[in-house]
Amino acid sequence: MADPLVIETSDLRKRYGAAEALRGLALAVPKGSIFGFLGRNGAGKTTTIKILLGMAHASGGDARVFGLPAGSPAAGVEIRRRTGFAGEEKDLYDYMTVAEIVRFTAAFYPRWRRDLEQRYRRAFDLPADRKVKALSRGMRTKLALLLALSRGAELLVLDEPTSGLDPAASEEVLQALVSHVGSEEMTVFFSSHQIADVEQIADRIAIVDRGRTVVAGSLDDMRASYRRIQFVFAGDAPEMTFRAPGVVRTHRQGRVWSVLASGGADAIVEEARALHPVSVDVMPVALKDIFLETVAAED
Amino acid sequence: MLWYKSWLETRWRFLIGLALLLCSAGAMVLTYPRLQALLSHIPEPQLGGALGERVREAIELSREYRGFVWAQGFSQNLAQLGTLFAVLLGTGGLLSGGAALFTLSLPATRRDLLRVRAAAGLAEWLLLALVPSLLISLMSPVIGESYGVVTALAHGLCLFVAGAVFFSLAMLLSTLFTDVWRPLLTAIAIAAFLALLEQLAPRDGGWGIYRVMSGESYFRSGAMPWAGLAASAAASVALLYAAAVNLERRDF
Amino acid sequence: MLFRPNPSLGVPIYLQLMEQVKHAIETGALQPGDQLPGIRPLAEELVINPNTVAKAYRELEHEGVVELRHGAGAFVAGNARARKVADSLRAGQATVAAAIARLRARGLTDDEIRRLFEAELEGRRNTGGRNG
Repeated sequence: MADPLVIETSDLRKRYGAAEALRGLALAVPKGSIFGFLGRNGAGKTTTIKILLGMAHASGGDARVFGLPAGSPAAGVEIRRRTGFAGEEKDLYDYMTVAEIVRFTAAFYPRWRRDLEQRYRRAFDLPADRKVKALSRGMRTKLALLLALSRGAELLVLDEPTSGLDPAASEEVLQALVSHVGSEEMTVFFSSHQIADVEQIADRIAIVDRGRTVVAGSLDDMRASYRRIQFVFAGDAPEMTFRAPGVVRTHRQGRVWSVLASGGADAIVEEARALHPVSVDVMPVALKDIFLETVAAED
Repeated sequence: MLWYKSWLETRWRFLIGLALLLCSAGAMVLTYPRLQALLSHIPEPQLGGALGERVREAIELSREYRGFVWAQGFSQNLAQLGTLFAVLLGTGGLLSGGAALFTLSLPATRRDLLRVRAAAGLAEWLLLALVPSLLISLMSPVIGESYGVVTALAHGLCLFVAGAVFFSLAMLLSTLFTDVWRPLLTAIAIAAFLALLEQLAPRDGGWGIYRVMSGESYFRSGAMPWAGLAASAAASVALLYAAAVNLERRDF
Repeated sequence: MLFRPNPSLGVPIYLQLMEQVKHAIETGALQPGDQLPGIRPLAEELVINPNTVAKAYRELEHEGVVELRHGAGAFVAGNARARKVADSLRAGQATVAAAIARLRARGLTDDEIRRLFEAELEGRRNTGGRNG
């Protein structure tokens, strides 16, 4: 009983001139999930989002939203009819007022949700007659989010939805997202640098690095299987290559061997016991550490 | 709503253009009596060369109202100012307009976006071409002259169709550059260059866009420059099509 | 009564929620027959994924601690199982308190004690109690 995939990419490639932004990126976002998309700046997150919504053209590979090909102009219209988007820059029409841009956007969506629009107008405290250019960064973000949430869309694609927001505003945004998924048949796909936000509300994530997916899966599975294992030896920690699968990173310093494992911690512990460590510590790993260790260091 | 957005984005250009063109047309009509009095004191000038020939002809024509309106208005003031505003109306658009990603996230194809912008812009340009022309007809009785509405509309139409080429050129250039200035200045440069070519070309030879714009053949012989108008319309369509193709293949 | 889980702990949020519910039953804050908050309202209040709340409730039902009545919501099981869970937790707490007291008496710090417990739990979880 597989969930249909709302977003699916395979071997997605994109080059800008000589630079390869995406090198075969794979994504699988099931319906009804809140999917966190993590990666360093320049890893390819925004490029991927643009390709999914028809703002940029892939150089190779396949990208589908609702099963439709993201690269076709006609399918693109259908995709965008069912998707709410808010970009990283939260750029909106400076010269329109809040009320005007809401009316403008609503005209494109027959399934526009007046009830949600009212709710968020109140909750986000957006003054109807203020011009967009006179709004603060935080208010612009909330407006962009309101415009995305009120479309009556099945999918929300958000690039850095909480960036630049203070913790209270950020929490309001997360609450709006959570409430959306709860009550509608909706999927949320968002990229973020705020790992804490992702950990709080996402049930699935993908970490992308240099144009490729390096980690993907359910956050709960990762919490259950990722472990940091620390071995302390009597003398200097010995050289060791592990046969057991699941070793992501190892770090040797003095008497201590530190291993980040994506799974199979007990097999790794078994293997290391042959070297007679003095102590073995197995600890859970926070998403931030998984991120930092699986993403390449500065080239 | 795309129409509304296009209007909001171009309304100041349109209104200022309309105001300037109306003033230009009105001023031209009102200064005619003065000019006529002045010219009656000036004998036929003896000037040599192609350029001299043009100047002589302009002066001769201006002795009479209909000729004056054609030489001063449709060949000069309205044509130059009009071309400038046709270009201005065609500039801007998705690449330089800001909030491109927001617009592109709407359920409309890029062709739709361009189509609406082009149609709205051309509608504005049509008004800029026709209304000042009609003003000439309306105001002529004030100075004791008459200028037929049909004549005014005919010239206005020529101005519109030929000017639409520059509008379309500006739209195409706007899909090539991400700022407002390069398309604008490039289009103006091209317009100026074509004007220069026409000035230097032999009088009766070849086709010139400014000749179509001024409705020269209609002025001289009452025959509308259908071939020129058709060619201009075709050029506009081709330029807009190229703009659409360009917009479609672009990455944002 | 139910407070925010800590997402960075490395412990799945649904497990943290389950622990909270069981603790609430054990302390009597939740009595058999009481209704648990709805999935969506709870998710909104705690600002966590509704799927996570749903998973916690499902697992609690699986363990017999809670009953899911279709259309009505989740209710604390009004049977012996719930009470048994509460009792086991209370007994377990006494055992843990005693063990910690003994380990402290040996001179271990609280951090060391915590690591011992975690390592032992990990060992059990990964190997299905092989070390037992």
